[in-house]
Amino acid sequence: MSRPLLELDKINSFYGPVQVHFDLSLHVNAGEIVCLLGGNASGKSTTMKTILGLMRPRSGTVTFDGQVISGLETPRIIRAGIGSVPEARRLFGAMTVRENLLMGAFIRNDAAGIRDDLARVLGLFPRLHERLGQRAGTLSGGEQQMVAMARALMGRPRLICMDEPTMGLSPRFVDVVLELIATINREGVSVFMVEQNASLALQIAHRGYVLQTGRIALSGPAATLARDPRIRDAYLGGEVAA
Amino acid sequence: MNWGTWLDYTVNGLVIGNIYALLAVGLALIFGVANLINFAHGSIYTVGAYVGWVCITHLHLPLLLTVPLVLLASAVLGVAIERLALRPLHNASRIAPLLATIGISLVLDQVTQLVFTPNPRALPSPLPDWRFQIGGGSIGTLDVLILAVGLGTAGVLYAFLRFTKLGWAVRATAQDMDAAKQMGVDTNRVNMSVFAIASALGGLSGMLVGMYYNNIDPGMSFDATLKGVVAQIIGGMGNVPGAIAGSLLLGLIESYGIALFGTSYRNLFAFVLLILILIVRPNGLFSSAKETPPEPMTGSFVARGKPLAIPRPVLVAVAVLAVFVPFVDSDYVVQTATNALLYGLLALSLTLVAGTVGMVSLGHAGLLAIGAYASSLMAIELGLPVTLSIALAGVVTAVIGTLLVFPAFRMRGHYVSIATLAIGQIVALVILNWNSLTRGPIGISGIPPLSFAGIPLYDAPQAYWFVLVVVVALALLQARVLSSHLGRTWRALRDDDVAARAHGIATDRYKAMAFAFGGFGAGVGGAVTAHLYSYINHETFNAQISVLALTIAILGGLGNITGALLGSVLLVGLPEVFRGLAEYRMLIYGVVLLLLIRVRPQGLLGTA
Repeated sequence: MSRPLLELDKINSFYGPVQVHFDLSLHVNAGEIVCLLGGNASGKSTTMKTILGLMRPRSGTVTFDGQVISGLETPRIIRAGIGSVPEARRLFGAMTVRENLLMGAFIRNDAAGIRDDLARVLGLFPRLHERLGQRAGTLSGGEQQMVAMARALMGRPRLICMDEPTMGLSPRFVDVVLELIATINREGVSVFMVEQNASLALQIAHRGYVLQTGRIALSGPAATLARDPRIRDAYLGGEVAA
Repeated sequence: MNWGTWLDYTVNGLVIGNIYALLAVGLALIFGVANLINFAHGSIYTVGAYVGWVCITHLHLPLLLTVPLVLLASAVLGVAIERLALRPLHNASRIAPLLATIGISLVLDQVTQLVFTPNPRALPSPLPDWRFQIGGGSIGTLDVLILAVGLGTAGVLYAFLRFTKLGWAVRATAQDMDAAKQMGVDTNRVNMSVFAIASALGGLSGMLVGMYYNNIDPGMSFDATLKGVVAQIIGGMGNVPGAIAGSLLLGLIESYGIALFGTSYRNLFAFVLLILILIVRPNGLFSSAKETPPEPMTGSFVARGKPLAIPRPVLVAVAVLAVFVPFVDSDYVVQTATNALLYGLLALSLTLVAGTVGMVSLGHAGLLAIGAYASSLMAIELGLPVTLSIALAGVVTAVIGTLLVFPAFRMRGHYVSIATLAIGQIVALVILNWNSLTRGPIGISGIPPLSFAGIPLYDAPQAYWFVLVVVVALALLQARVLSSHLGRTWRALRDDDVAARAHGIATDRYKAMAFAFGGFGAGVGGAVTAHLYSYINHETFNAQISVLALTIAILGGLGNITGALLGSVLLVGLPEVFRGLAEYRMLIYGVVLLLLIRVRPQGLLGTA
């Protein structure tokens, strides 16, 4: 079996004296959509921060495409080929949509390629076409989510990390966003997403992990997890019997 | 006045405005990316002026060579400050970088003074002295140069921010640093570049202002920082075009103000305008939002740490020992000890306001001035006994001080520090200009000495004991209050004022109580000082004293009563012991402040 694209190996991370992750290991293969599920305070967002270098694990390694990236600064990790769709989107609100998209291509220097990709991305997100000159902060939540995804794509990443991409969206936009994630993946970009909404995430994911108080409680193909009664129980507050 | 004169004042206002703009633009850029008001900015401006002076008067370089050298030297200095002093504080509490820039400014100003002496120097403009007549007024070559530099800088900055990759990175970082990192922006490099650009412009501003007045001196930095900050707040913190507009407006208002009222009112306009803007439009003239943006400097504003528990017998023993200090039989030592105790009074007051309530005041010397003038005038004009006038001065200071700071109660973090700084300056300027009450620039002399029960206390030991009793009494009272319900409420305000309000605490009222309590102590301190000195003027209690008081409070541990007194003894007393160091005193304070922030941000005895 070929090496995974992203691999977390025995991560232990802490907020001060409080341990968040206990020997956390997971991986994303090239071409996959993998979702990390879990309730509040399970350590999902910390996992994302650890991958992106916004937080350092005390022990364990993060490997991307054969290169150890834990310990690198965030900009270096982005340059290695990881795109980020942060939690709550974090657009540059005072900049236009166009400027936001071009910020996504900040790590690139090929002007012609960036122009082509802008056209390609706008093909994927036609709604953004008419919004190009508008300040990003004035868009609706769903449109902002699209900008955030398009912005991440502009860096031509091989893996996109998405932190709660459906959070705060209207039900109609949730479906649109999920469909777009599947589309992005069909174009050859691997996706690692953190989600609270298990049933939605498992509709498009290939595999999933369930995180509970810093440990992987369950993992497997999305179809299997979706049928697993323990998933339901876990989200209703019950303990997952591992 | 005729049209020509008005035109001259307008040109003067625009020229000064452009000089402020060079400062304010840099402050706005730095505030944007680093969320920091750089109090060292004026010191860089001074260094720029001196580099220009060396180039022109000593090396006889042409202006075309001098300008790049000034830009380069200032930029290098800015980068060094960012890299060596500020970047290591990334994860420190929010107040740390702000205090670090104050420390840096103390160090830089003193070094400039040691290298170039405190004497003013002439910085002649090397330009030919042509004047162009326009409609009854006239414009000189230097005016034209400064206006051109201002316009040119604005244009270059606009192009930089709009069209260059680094410019985009600066804008993105200013809006959301974490998101910018996730786009692959090296935010450390952005920070460094911004410090380089801002410092280069600041240095250039200093050189131009030196030529404009044909005069530079090491003391010019403080005013420059203040003016830059005022201009930036008029335009909105972090807003670059706003900073330019705010600077021009400030320059014009000052110039017309001088035309109408005279030079001594100049700064009063700037600071009153600042306070008005902070109250009415805290986001600046050009922002529609009324609320200040979520200020990151709350909650974690003060470095946390557990106060060291000092056993009561030790404290009592130290107090008893303190009684015997006058028996060393050296008036000099006793006077120094008295001085340290007086600073202790000020530090007690500041540690309450800044440490316990979390409003970091940079204008605390203003309270000393109010107390000193109130007691002196009551003793001289009304013939009140000195003990009574001192007590009344405490009350007067509590009332006036609280009323003055009242508008700042709704502000947080940075804004409080700036507002209090301005209020401190306003107090000094009102004293300077209110001739009929305060005797203006002449000051008050012949202030009667301290006395007790009608007996004047002429010798040093008697004065010392008088002050010691006052300090111990106020310290015990403050300790009692801090352990009461009131003290707990104050700490709650500091830790989370929104939550405190949500629990039904009338935050304004409690802040007022803190300022009244602190104002009383500081007012008494100022009053005692006046009776000891027998002469005071509007400069006796200057902003340096405010900064020193803050350093003392931080050294001891913010909010810590014992710490405030220990800090005073260490910072005021020790430099006197090593008398040879007097010349380096501000340098020592600056270095102490920088070391503390880095090594022991909670102070010697810990924050309480």
